[in-house]
Amino acid sequence: MAGSGTNVVSRSSKESAGGIGRLTRGRRGRAARTIRQGELRTAALFIAPALALYALFMLIPFANSIYFSLTNWNGATALKEFVGLDNYIAMFRDPTLYLALRNNVVWIVLGTAAPVVLGLMLALVLWTVPRGALFFRTVFFLPFILPIVVVGLVWGWIYHPLFGVLNRVLATVGLESLGRGWLGDASTALVATLVAAIWGAFGFVTVLLYTALQNVNTDMVDAAKVDGATWFERARFVVIPAIAPVLTLVTAITLIGGFAVIDFILIMTGGGPGNASTVLGYYAYENGFELNRLGYGSALSMFITVLSLVAAVAFVKFRERER
Amino acid sequence: MFRASKATTVLALAMVTATACIGGSAGSDGAGSEDSSGGPTTISYFTGIEETPALEAEAKEIIEDFEAANPDITVERESVAVEDQRTVIQTRLRSEEPPDVFGYDTGPGFAGVLAKADLLYPLDDAYKQYGWPVYDWAKQRVTYDGVLSGVPGSVEEIGVYYNKDVFDDMGFEEPQTLAELEEIASAVQDEGMTPFAFGDQEKWPAGHLFSIAVSNLVGPDGLNQLLYGGAKWNDPEVVEAIEIMFSDFVEKGYYPDDVNAITYEDANSLFYAGEAVMAPTGTWLVPEIDETVQDFEVGFFPFPALDDTGISPPSGVGGGLFVAKNTDDPEAALKFVDYLQFNEQRVKDDLERANTIPPFQVDTAELEVTPLFEEVLDDLSEAENPDAFGYNIDVLAPADFNEVMFDGFQEVLNGSRTAQEQADALQAAYEKAKAAGETLEQP
Repeated sequence: MAGSGTNVVSRSSKESAGGIGRLTRGRRGRAARTIRQGELRTAALFIAPALALYALFMLIPFANSIYFSLTNWNGATALKEFVGLDNYIAMFRDPTLYLALRNNVVWIVLGTAAPVVLGLMLALVLWTVPRGALFFRTVFFLPFILPIVVVGLVWGWIYHPLFGVLNRVLATVGLESLGRGWLGDASTALVATLVAAIWGAFGFVTVLLYTALQNVNTDMVDAAKVDGATWFERARFVVIPAIAPVLTLVTAITLIGGFAVIDFILIMTGGGPGNASTVLGYYAYENGFELNRLGYGSALSMFITVLSLVAAVAFVKFRERER
Repeated sequence: MFRASKATTVLALAMVTATACIGGSAGSDGAGSEDSSGGPTTISYFTGIEETPALEAEAKEIIEDFEAANPDITVERESVAVEDQRTVIQTRLRSEEPPDVFGYDTGPGFAGVLAKADLLYPLDDAYKQYGWPVYDWAKQRVTYDGVLSGVPGSVEEIGVYYNKDVFDDMGFEEPQTLAELEEIASAVQDEGMTPFAFGDQEKWPAGHLFSIAVSNLVGPDGLNQLLYGGAKWNDPEVVEAIEIMFSDFVEKGYYPDDVNAITYEDANSLFYAGEAVMAPTGTWLVPEIDETVQDFEVGFFPFPALDDTGISPPSGVGGGLFVAKNTDDPEAALKFVDYLQFNEQRVKDDLERANTIPPFQVDTAELEVTPLFEEVLDDLSEAENPDAFGYNIDVLAPADFNEVMFDGFQEVLNGSRTAQEQADALQAAYEKAKAAGETLEQP
């Protein structure tokens, strides 16, 4: 079983390289023509419902958002005055944008690296020490199935300045001076919120990577062991390359999530104190829905879209080149 | 790898597209048909969830009573969390089936925006037809561009609840001056208690303290000057108000530590638990206090004078009732509004059970109410006279100004911004809003 899995990985990676890739595309072209003649109508029928839903709930609102971002619509009036690129110009002059962007960068770097590293380590441990793996997998996965509201509230209580566990634990071990209102302190609010998000995400990464590890060829791992590779070397040069596609996927998902984050901030800090923990997504929401500036909020969301697109495509390209 | 990365790209695209879709779709703008044939009709009523489960159950009973009295009208009541009302209401009003009657905040950043967008049913005629006896100042709060567009809800005042037992034990009376208040606060601190139950995690509670201080320092005329006239938000009185509430009181330790991390509810809990002695907040909290506090007696006083200008406790109408411009049946909708807000028995029940004070004169002598509510009623007995009270500023200010106010007060509280800087920011925000035509006009 494990052997066939490795073969699939290596074959597909060969196909993507240079000349073989072109040959493959040529063959696919002929096949596609055959399909077009015989089964196009059926295919269209199968695709239509999904496409209609996608257009209705994604493409049309997306196009709407682009349009709104070029108006000064307040969300209520029938009239949406076209203002061209005014919102975008105002956006790049808005100091809060850069504060939010900086916070997003922190969120993306820590919020992607921490769950992926943590999840990878735990997955490797579970894979190498199968005893109790099911139990621990379940335990690690539990935070992920909790609604974000619950995770946010629970961590809000942990951080609570009056009866929070964290301050109490610090006091018990003699570090009372470190205790504070974690979510109300400008220097800790963002990171404290991020820790809650990481806790909510690492289980998802662990389980996906653990599943990918089931396809790793253990013979190769054993061979590396015989050749004298250390545990770290075996992980680095044998195991991780074998699960790279899944690792890429998981990283990309967490990365994009980092640009779009709003839920944890909304529930835990409301962007505060002041604007200390605001992020682009929250700032867009705040403008669009609380400050009657839907046009400006839409422009902000377009900015997020472009950033996430660039980051996601760049990351995938980078991974491809690495392969 | 190629296949996997393609899938990743597609997934990435789908996800980022989803994040971009913050805009709702624009609804139609057709005028509603005026179907007032008098036959059986159904109206929808959209409102915020009541503060307690008991009040929520009561709100449903009220609907049943109305339906019993008006068998040809069915009311569909829909309640959402108060903080979600704003997001939902605008979309709903532009939909094919807007709520006929809805409760909403009365400020220019709330119902004012809807009025400007021509989404509210004008009520000048209804006031005449039904003879609704609302105070003039309260009517002004729901008048936008000269059109009376709503029915003000309840009259509320911001003052200070206090633990009467602690005051009695320590031999204190209700304070009349800032010096007396500070004397109490420091004595309370010596006993290991927190003087004020105040938390500002949600940002808006600071708006109430600011309103108290500014109202007391400049009085109603000064407030009118700030809101409609030539006074500036960075005038010395405003700076002083910010200084007292958000710098001095923090330095003196009158609030709980980490005040920006404590929610409004947490702060109230400190008061209920007897750990904090005074709770500066609004009269809407009376039913909750009466229900929750069993171990000590609670009193209410207006915040004392900060200098020799006297006091003007912030007061006003928080929310109000509105009728959608596109309502199918304005007649039934108005009948329902009349019942909700003006039916004699309803007004009495509201006063006694929900402690809601109507924005018009009622005889409160025969009412059966708790001692705390009696104190509040006594305090608000001059409600018909607008000169006796100040304003709750965020209700009258545009949304952008409120944002600067709320964010900035958190920063003053944590020491990262000075009172003067915050006052300057307020003035800049007000000028900007005024230029954009978002401020209220002089009534």
